Amino acid sequence: MKNKIILLLALIFLITGCGNYREINDLAIVTSIAIDKADDGKYELSYLIANSPKSQTSNKEGEATTTIYSGKGETLNEATNVIDRKTPKSLYYGHINVVVISEEIAQEGFLKIADWLLRNPETRKQFYLLQSKEKTAKTILKIVEPLESFPSQSIASLIESNSTFESLTSNIKYSPFVERILSKGFDPTLPAVTVVGSEKKGSTEKNLEKTEPATYLKLNDAAIFIKDKFVGYVGEKDSQAISVLNDNISEFKFSFKYDNHDVVFISNDVNTKTDIKDFNHINIKVKGQGYLSEVNGKIDIEKTKVVKKMEKKLEKETKKAFEKTLKKMQEKYHADVFGFGNKLYGIYPQKWNQIEKKWNRDYFPKLKVNIKTDFQIASSGSLNRTIGEVLK
Amino acid sequence: MTKAKLIIEKVKKLYGNSSDLQTRIIDVHGTDIGVLFMESSSSSETVSKFIIKSIDYVAKNTNKLSNIYNHLKNNIFNSQLTTVTNFSDFPYYLSSGFTIIIADDVNEAMALETRATLDRGVTESTSEPILRGPKDSFTESNSKNLGLIRKRIKDHNLWFDEVKVGARTKSKVNIAYIKDIADTNCVEAIKQVLEKIDIDGILDGGNLREYMLNKKSVFPQILSTERPDLACQSLLDGKIVILVENSPFVLILPNVFIDFIHTSEDQYQKPFSISFTRILKVIALIITLFTPAIYIAITTFDQTVVPDELLISLAVQREGVPFPTFFEVILLMAIFEILRESDVRSPANMGASMSIVGALILGQAAVDAGIVSPIAVIVIAITSICSLIFTDVDFMNGIRSWRFIFILSATFFGLIGVVATGLMLVLKLSSLDSFGVPFLAPFSPLIHSSQKDAVVRYPLPRIFKRPEYLQNKDKTKQGGHNEK
Repeated sequence: MKNKIILLLALIFLITGCGNYREINDLAIVTSIAIDKADDGKYELSYLIANSPKSQTSNKEGEATTTIYSGKGETLNEATNVIDRKTPKSLYYGHINVVVISEEIAQEGFLKIADWLLRNPETRKQFYLLQSKEKTAKTILKIVEPLESFPSQSIASLIESNSTFESLTSNIKYSPFVERILSKGFDPTLPAVTVVGSEKKGSTEKNLEKTEPATYLKLNDAAIFIKDKFVGYVGEKDSQAISVLNDNISEFKFSFKYDNHDVVFISNDVNTKTDIKDFNHINIKVKGQGYLSEVNGKIDIEKTKVVKKMEKKLEKETKKAFEKTLKKMQEKYHADVFGFGNKLYGIYPQKWNQIEKKWNRDYFPKLKVNIKTDFQIASSGSLNRTIGEVLK
Repeated sequence: MTKAKLIIEKVKKLYGNSSDLQTRIIDVHGTDIGVLFMESSSSSETVSKFIIKSIDYVAKNTNKLSNIYNHLKNNIFNSQLTTVTNFSDFPYYLSSGFTIIIADDVNEAMALETRATLDRGVTESTSEPILRGPKDSFTESNSKNLGLIRKRIKDHNLWFDEVKVGARTKSKVNIAYIKDIADTNCVEAIKQVLEKIDIDGILDGGNLREYMLNKKSVFPQILSTERPDLACQSLLDGKIVILVENSPFVLILPNVFIDFIHTSEDQYQKPFSISFTRILKVIALIITLFTPAIYIAITTFDQTVVPDELLISLAVQREGVPFPTFFEVILLMAIFEILRESDVRSPANMGASMSIVGALILGQAAVDAGIVSPIAVIVIAITSICSLIFTDVDFMNGIRSWRFIFILSATFFGLIGVVATGLMLVLKLSSLDSFGVPFLAPFSPLIHSSQKDAVVRYPLPRIFKRPEYLQNKDKTKQGGHNEK
């Protein structure tokens, strides 16, 4: 019995996972990573470390400021080693929530750098991937946001609020993005982020103290990819249209003119059905129900006839907008961001294999897509009539 | 033939001429009547008023020829008269507060009850206070304790079996049970255990408890209470209550794990709110067992499971704390246990100064000085408050022991260790039994009909059966309905 206990105690100290033991305050928690291409062709890696306590003693309130470390290297791992030497704590990758890549990296091909983060066992593969537009990726990390108490979380919360309430950005997480690249006939998109205002002012704490921040991050364009290579940007309207056609939208917002008055329609319930006929014909049906969020001018919206007319107009306008985006993708970028190729592959795998290489150049641009829209205006918000109508 | 004088001398010698042994010899028509009693345990007033007076009365109403002893036996003013024929029984009766009367040339003696009241009255329960329900509690007096039960259950089937335990203390131990409900095999088993005990003395039920366990465990397998209403509830459920002389705590057995989460009050309040309270208690049990261990595991091994913002907050709070998390937690837990222990032992008027030192200096100042992190103080505070929700001290201590095991396994193995130790705890608990009743009943083995008063309590009109895990003779609690 005694021997057994001694053996057990010995085992506890000999074979335990003590190697995995680390105190939380000895960790440098990396929450965001920026990957840039430096001028000399090396990779420049930047880490946003979330837990650098303020230099004063007041660690009581749990205040944290962020610090950015960067390093260059031929490979990403080499760059990491440079950073590791600079930081006094050991780097911890378990809580990365945003990865920003620069335009150059995207142009060169994302798959070149995709391996390192996926292979690391410590990372959760569920972080957001962004592309920086015009600025370097490192600049994006530097901007501090006034509304977020944890500065390290500002980019992630920006994406989250945008994706649920606006769906302007085609937000995507890291591993689904890689999956999309590897899948057949489905080109990915990435949200593009840029800095508005002076980046110098935005990276100091002073940006937090002003009532109107001098610098902020803007997230509304989408970066279009063919396979893993970046080809160009589209604006927010196109970005929304892509989301609708992919049946991947939670809130659809559309403004149009009716009798020369501005009307804004919002729908939280949009469904898209794609019907594949053959390699040349595709039918898309968009169905939605929503409400009016803004009606300026004298329109008698109490009359069913008027509302019906409005719906007709809305359907026409949305159809036009969707077709415009579709055309842009087909003719300008040749990027099948709607996954038509993927659906065709599912139905005719053998024929797909023959034309796979020619899909983006030859087949996709010639595809005849017939879009049908069907929207219903179910309510008019808190007001039954318009203010202009009451004035009359 | 013996002379009263000689016997008195013999008794005096037996007690080493103890100062409280009082003797008196009364000459009645030439026959010596000896009166012996202990001044300390008997009431002198009763002895003078009734015993001496009766002897005087008998002396006046008899003549020399009559049998004085028999006259005395028939005419003495006392309700309890025992005939003692064996001299070796004298000390037991004398020490218990009896008065012994002997006479010349008689081979027996009379023992008359003249006990002094050496116990406090029936007072409110201090260790198990309740809001609604009877407030009385058991006292140190054996007859009062039996009375408190007897007056609640008037059935003649409520039997008290007496066993004397302890070579020197000769303490009365009463096994109370309702004959036609309780499992009599269990009563026999308990009696056998009690009769086998060969010790110089027992002073409390706690002494007896250690003889009745067949498996080692930090969790108590026998419930102890000072509430007569809880004892009666248990009797009606078919359990057995053991009352020990001079102890205000009675033992209830067989006992299962879930009983420690129940209180006697549960039966008097509304079922819905009691179910809610019991669920809270189960949650508190889980919190108090696991919180420190999980805190250690997630801050030193498995940081990945913590939400982003919490992790950053934790990391910043731990900044500058010189000790490892494990040591920090152990330190705070030790301080709390010391505080609790000194609070129990110290006189009531020292409580205020202790709470100031405990709360302000140890808590606030330690955080400000950067010795411990605020989050560790919060973790220990939650753990301690949740452990105080249970009234049974032994149960609380059992939880404490397992909490330390959990902390150790979390320190060495992280969350995996906590899960593995949790499994060990369940295995250990399910291997226990109390006189044949599985400790985890009615959950393991699962008994559906007994779930009506386990974690949730059904309204009383809907509970027809007594707990089925007890081997009761009479299984129905409430008639008029057929169990479907």
